[in-house]
Amino acid sequence: MRSLMIGGTGMLAQQTNVEVISNNIANMTTSGYKMQRAEFQDLLYQNIRRPGAQSSDAGTIVPTGIQLGLGVKTASVYRIHTQGTIVITGNNLDLAVNGDGYFQIEMPDGTTNYTRAGSFQLNADGQIVTADGYTLLPGLTVPANTLDITIDGSGQVQAKIDGQIDPQVVGQIQLARFPNNAGLEGLGGNLYRETPASGAAVVGNPAIDGYGTIQQGSLEQANVNVVSEITNLITAQRAYEMNSRVIRTSDEMLSALSQLR
Amino acid sequence: MENTSYIALSRATALERKMQVVANNVANMNTTGFKSESPLFIEYVEKPQKDERYSMALDLGTFRDTSAGPITMTGNPLDVALEGDGYFSVDTLNGPRYTRAGNFALNDNRELVNSAGLPVLDSNGSTITFPPNASDIRISPQGDVSTELGPLGRIGIVRFEKEQALTQLGNGLYQTNEKPVAAEDTAVRQGYLEGSNVKAILEMTNMIEVNRQYQSVQRLLQGEHERLRNAYQKLSRLS
Repeated sequence: MRSLMIGGTGMLAQQTNVEVISNNIANMTTSGYKMQRAEFQDLLYQNIRRPGAQSSDAGTIVPTGIQLGLGVKTASVYRIHTQGTIVITGNNLDLAVNGDGYFQIEMPDGTTNYTRAGSFQLNADGQIVTADGYTLLPGLTVPANTLDITIDGSGQVQAKIDGQIDPQVVGQIQLARFPNNAGLEGLGGNLYRETPASGAAVVGNPAIDGYGTIQQGSLEQANVNVVSEITNLITAQRAYEMNSRVIRTSDEMLSALSQLR
Repeated sequence: MENTSYIALSRATALERKMQVVANNVANMNTTGFKSESPLFIEYVEKPQKDERYSMALDLGTFRDTSAGPITMTGNPLDVALEGDGYFSVDTLNGPRYTRAGNFALNDNRELVNSAGLPVLDSNGSTITFPPNASDIRISPQGDVSTELGPLGRIGIVRFEKEQALTQLGNGLYQTNEKPVAAEDTAVRQGYLEGSNVKAILEMTNMIEVNRQYQSVQRLLQGEHERLRNAYQKLSRLS
């Protein structure tokens, strides 16, 4: 009874779907989070009678044939990198990217990872760091007696130093773009890593050549649409139930079969 | 004498096959661009003797419901849905294959590919490559792909005279030897996806029906078994 197994593939797929949706809902208020979506594909088909096969010597052909499907599989769980809502926080080290591009973060092992979550802080050395203490690249040091930091749309960091009239330029924030954002590998902690599918990072200054603009004092919210996630959850749950009905029906048919004599 | 059992057997086999088709439809309830199928049965009549007439159930084929699935908004610029009949063409090593699933992505060469990584073909049969510094991807209802740097080509949308003769390959792909014709009236909707056109209520009722019919076949066989046993008992008592 193949329908038993087919129902099983359906339940597995819907389970993955519910897992992906619940992760999206759990990260509803994670800044810079990009929602994921599970995508399904039908499995191979068994050709019992091939469409287009000849059915007589006169050249008549089978119009439809018999093709029996074998179920469903999860094709991919991919990230949708659309822009999230930008909210104003007033904190002058909260940075949001409006448009394409990722902040570059130096990991403790020296590799570079990427993030959209721009809630930065200063560490003891005056470097701009993430909530985990990893430094923002390219590295820049804010002088100790700084009163205020201004970061403009193109990523230039200016410090207003005590006793000086003109603000001093202390560095330039650069963003990285990828040929295929959806190919980035999520690492948790709001970080992404470059993969062969994403292509190599192209680093450049914000606000030109397709790079997004930096907005100081704001944060990018998750791009999760709660209403659509909840409706997806309902659909997935119902689909799960219906697949379990398939299994039950197949079971009843098998039990009818075993009572034959 | 044994024909009752064989006729019942033909029905039971056909029902199992129908159950498989129903199960596959239910499993693919959330598969992008999936088209539901239903089996077709015909009466197969045989006349072994002059006054006898048996009709068995024979499955003739599976029929694909090519009606459009529900179109849902995703907001992803690389999700496209077809409004009207037609298929996208993708390039494989064995030649072009056709699909209704418009959940596209870019690969590391910035080519437009489908979810399995197969390049999507434009109306001239070549791939669509995005320039590296473009960020705004627009797809017009006619299928014209452009960025802020200029147009890139038109997504090829094709249709077929014998749509039912398309062979399913799994992964949402179809294959045919027929020469495709450009679908002129089909609109492309960017930011939308076509869902599966499986109708849940229909499949559930189909499933209940299959189950009940299977049980009645079983009861028929049971009755036939009793009848034969009675006959043998009575006949052996007579002798």
